[in-house]
Amino acid sequence: MKKTTLHLLATYLLILLSLAGISTSTQAATGAAIPTFVYPLLHIPRIDVEGYGALDLNLQLEDPSRLILSISSQQSANGAVAPGATFNLQSGVMDLPLMRMGNNFYAVQLQSIVGNKFQVTQIKPAALAGKAGYMQMCSGCHGADGLGGTLGISLQNCGWCKDLESLAGYISASMPLGNPGLCVATCASDVAGYISTAFNVSNTSQVASTLGAIEVMPAAETLRKASMQLVSRLPTQAELALVNSKGDEGLRTVLAAMMQEPAFYARLSEIFNDRLLTNHYRTSNSAEAAINLMSGFPNARWYDPGKDLRDVIYTANRAITNNSVATEPLELINYVVRNNLPATEILTADYFMVNGYSAKSYGIADVVFNDEWDPEEFRPARLTGVRHSGLLSSLMFLNRYPSTVTNRNRARARVVYDLFLDVDILALDGVRPDGSAVDIKSAAPTMENPDCVKCHGLLDPVASAFQDWSDRGKYAPPTKWYADMFQAGFGSQSLPATHKKNALQWLAGQLAADPRFDTAMARIIYKGLTGQEPLNPPGASATTAETEAWLAESSMLDAAKASYKADKRNLKTLIREIILSPYWRADGLTDAGFALVHADTGSTMLLTPELLHRKLNALFGFEWRGPLDSYSTVQNVASSARLLDPRTYYQQIYGGIDSFAVTERLTDPNGLMANVQERMANEMSCYAVPNDFLVASASRRLFPYVETSTTLADDNSQSAVKANIQYLHRYLLGEELALDSSEIAYTYQLFATVLKDGQSKLGNKSESASLPARCIRSKDMFTGLSLNMTGGKDGRLLTDPNYVVRSWMAVVAYLLADYRFVYE
Amino acid sequence: MKRRTFLNVLAGIGVSNALPMTLISPAFGATPERFLITISASGGWDPTAFVDPKGNALRADGRGPINNYAASAIKSAGNIRYAPYPTSVVPPAITSPGHLDNFFAKHHQRLLIINGIDTQTNSHESGSRFVWSGRLEQGFPSVGALVAAPFASQPMAFISTGGYDYTASLVSGVRTSSAGTFAALAYPNSQFADSATNRKLGYFSESAYSAVQASRDARLARLQSAESLPIRSAQMQQLELARGSDGDLERLLAKLPVTVSAGIKGHAEVAVAAFASGLAASANLFQGGFDTHATHDVSQANALTQLLDGIDHLWNQIELRGLQSKVTILIGSDFGRTPFYNMGAGKDHWNVTSVMAMGAGVTGNRVIGSTSENFQALKLNPGTLQPHSLGVTVTPKHIHRALRDYLGVSDDLNRQFPISAEPLALFG
Repeated sequence: MKKTTLHLLATYLLILLSLAGISTSTQAATGAAIPTFVYPLLHIPRIDVEGYGALDLNLQLEDPSRLILSISSQQSANGAVAPGATFNLQSGVMDLPLMRMGNNFYAVQLQSIVGNKFQVTQIKPAALAGKAGYMQMCSGCHGADGLGGTLGISLQNCGWCKDLESLAGYISASMPLGNPGLCVATCASDVAGYISTAFNVSNTSQVASTLGAIEVMPAAETLRKASMQLVSRLPTQAELALVNSKGDEGLRTVLAAMMQEPAFYARLSEIFNDRLLTNHYRTSNSAEAAINLMSGFPNARWYDPGKDLRDVIYTANRAITNNSVATEPLELINYVVRNNLPATEILTADYFMVNGYSAKSYGIADVVFNDEWDPEEFRPARLTGVRHSGLLSSLMFLNRYPSTVTNRNRARARVVYDLFLDVDILALDGVRPDGSAVDIKSAAPTMENPDCVKCHGLLDPVASAFQDWSDRGKYAPPTKWYADMFQAGFGSQSLPATHKKNALQWLAGQLAADPRFDTAMARIIYKGLTGQEPLNPPGASATTAETEAWLAESSMLDAAKASYKADKRNLKTLIREIILSPYWRADGLTDAGFALVHADTGSTMLLTPELLHRKLNALFGFEWRGPLDSYSTVQNVASSARLLDPRTYYQQIYGGIDSFAVTERLTDPNGLMANVQERMANEMSCYAVPNDFLVASASRRLFPYVETSTTLADDNSQSAVKANIQYLHRYLLGEELALDSSEIAYTYQLFATVLKDGQSKLGNKSESASLPARCIRSKDMFTGLSLNMTGGKDGRLLTDPNYVVRSWMAVVAYLLADYRFVYE
Repeated sequence: MKRRTFLNVLAGIGVSNALPMTLISPAFGATPERFLITISASGGWDPTAFVDPKGNALRADGRGPINNYAASAIKSAGNIRYAPYPTSVVPPAITSPGHLDNFFAKHHQRLLIINGIDTQTNSHESGSRFVWSGRLEQGFPSVGALVAAPFASQPMAFISTGGYDYTASLVSGVRTSSAGTFAALAYPNSQFADSATNRKLGYFSESAYSAVQASRDARLARLQSAESLPIRSAQMQQLELARGSDGDLERLLAKLPVTVSAGIKGHAEVAVAAFASGLAASANLFQGGFDTHATHDVSQANALTQLLDGIDHLWNQIELRGLQSKVTILIGSDFGRTPFYNMGAGKDHWNVTSVMAMGAGVTGNRVIGSTSENFQALKLNPGTLQPHSLGVTVTPKHIHRALRDYLGVSDDLNRQFPISAEPLALFG
């Protein structure tokens, strides 16, 4: 019905046009909010009417056959919006120089008639001045509708496209790819205007509708999730009280405090390493992986006393030093964030980071440490004569993305575009004609062959800006650079002569000034916090749902970026705003009709091995790395932690990365991973449950309401068991359940079933009163001393005569492999 | 049985459409009968140092020789010509299974070489994507994932140890580890999984453990039915599918060596044991070291020795399990290397490459496709597979089209991930 009526209207418009014999008018596209007709409403964001002021009008199509519309609503217009229509009180004529309907534009006049109504009297197509240029030069990559075409580079809802001056400048300088300079001055202004007008009309109401369908998690629940995600601990009572009393404002305060904690920086490093992959050089891959890259630093292995004198101190210092060198780029990011510096400083920093260990390796003596043996104390430093440029000049970054005599830093340039500008150069290469992937006929194909120039025109100026750094990351300015490739620059900017000696620093400044840098940061943070990449621009073949999903999500990210930019590009602000967004807090849909639109909405993700490891430690007070009676004797924690060790245990199997061959995390569990979950649940319940009963109830993490003798013999014990089950659901899963809820009843039933069965087996001697061997507790977990000290109380827990401990083990194992535990 | 019930429930509440089509096909839950192993020689191998040898004649354009060995030194085993080691390279031990002579002497009767494949790119990412998915652009699953898709319910349906292993959500890739790890996972309720004697000692009695598992499954079903957020609903489906394979790993343990080898050999052992146990349908193995922009001859030879040694070991494992007629092996690389040396005695990226196949569906002692003297792809007649100037240039999509046809990739999957290429009778 809707489609038929719209078709009818379009038909009438065409008839009107043909009768009038009117030619197309050419309008300069200003980027102002223009009136838009979406059946059955004509929305005029602003019309100035004498005596009424600036109005925001909605007119409803009342009679399609006669093109009569009536005013359906009016309110004061946003004063910042330029008027898109005029009204002459004397003649009663409303003039809309530009009205959008679908992807088309018209100049429209309406005449006031009786009853607060208007009739369309004149309509003619309006060709926007930049349209022809856009179609000719831009639509191939961006699509005729601006939704990204085959390459998926969308111009719709493009935050910085709304700044006409910047956009025109960018077009002049950089577009079209491989041929900048083709469209400058008026051409650039017109195309910018067309992009702004045609593709970036307000979609506020549509976005609001999409976002409104998300059921947002309450503040307290958000707090628990954020606390686990950012600092791997439960919220404190004080934090919870603040959030309960002040809601989102309290949440902001708590998040700000959490982002001061050391644990937050460990998490931040994980998030960034998933992109940078510089942890490839940590000792987990090779004992001296990073140190081995330090050719030219004679003191790199300062910790080595010589083959015959190596001892445990040597081993420890070697590991700490290697990891201190390996994590330098991530520590730079931590430093920038910790000190609320602009995120751009991760590129523009004219320093790098050392602690007391790595400073010795680098031969740096002028940095003052509070404690030179504190591996956590990183401070900025400079190497004599070296022009540092943040991550770009980091020895680890340059080695992780090495170059060769023929590659000439192009791989590095590709990574720079990808990581710091959110541009996938490889997506530009497309399908090449048969046999022409490598051109050896041209003298300099990357400069002469148009197929090559398309990418190399972007890539090679950035690659050339790395010329002062060797293939393996040493600062070694060459005497001359290759003439047969594009020289250092960025976009259409050539490296100024005054910056010949600090080309990389100049490039960092260019990257920092590029609005795409902020998009790249948002992408990294969003992926880290949700486990998902931001949605790709929908492209030409997208469904309506995909387009709506992308518009809403990108609007949310634009808003988060705006806050972050307003706070001097503070990454903490970006993290906070994403966490507070309905996407991160999505807890359901209020309208099932939005299921397709919100197919990817939400931040619940399978916990990474590292996050799951820390969650277990936070909840139980010990790590998953074997029986507690031998906990203190295990020397090498990293190689015994079940979720951190990649070789003997499960870090790889559970979807972790090694930052080298395996660089993408598994996000969906497979059969092996499900078995890892099961083993984790069984082992941890075996360790944690008996262990918790060793101490007084007030000090327990898991069982404040019951004892090992609490069976289901009477009402009181039954109530205590239920209360403890309710507590466990809250403590382990974050679920707030009423005592009479069905989930409490189900868990209670499990407890009762196992208890009854076990007691029966105890009675007929088919099962022993002894706890399973791995679960008994006879030594202090941390000191290894016997719990049965001579002359003191026997604090051991060896038996379970009532089968209560094992019944609770069953309950805890049930909860630990639950969806809500292994996903967060 | 449990899975089918689960899927019936899904169908009943109208969510089965959200599942990948392979998961609701009749093959769901079936045990694979054909297996695929892809081996990625990552970085871009040099066919001219291997199965498309050229020799050291100087190029007419002044770029020097293609190889540092004489054309007269080129060797052959049956119909397969292969390169000798360059003069500057110290070959591996003559007893090494990775030595070119040993490898071809032993395996040439089962090897199919496809030369002159144009990858149309010199980018690692694009090249590996094209070679292993059949499509240069993003979005297609690796062929290993495609083949494993109908068996997604198996706990290790698609084993991948790195490289291009995009799955398009058809199946979840599995990474492997040591034998002891598998024992612990095969018996998650055992306190002493490594000990055959004490393995039966569980954390829980069998009845208690059954109660825990039943409660867990019932709870997941309740959560699913109450969930309105699509992404969580999908995650719960995945978790349910993953859980459905409890206990299957015991079969794997019986087929694994006591000590699993390191590197590609160990991955081969796990993959074949998983095939023999009916737990996996495909495996994607990875061997790096081929991106030889400098000191090409030595580095390429070293990488090749490791690769061939691994392939030989893989074949031994396949024979040990009697799977020769069921396992197809496809070995390839991102692209090739330039038919000339650069200033650092290295070779850079070149779009022409070769692929090697062996095992089920492969007629060995055969070479298809060819290249010019300057190592450019020559066209062939798609009907006769002989060189023909008016024929087609072979690209990875041709290999994939033929492989899919042989392995019986479903129409549904072919429609979902279509490949348009002339059919070539490469397999079967």
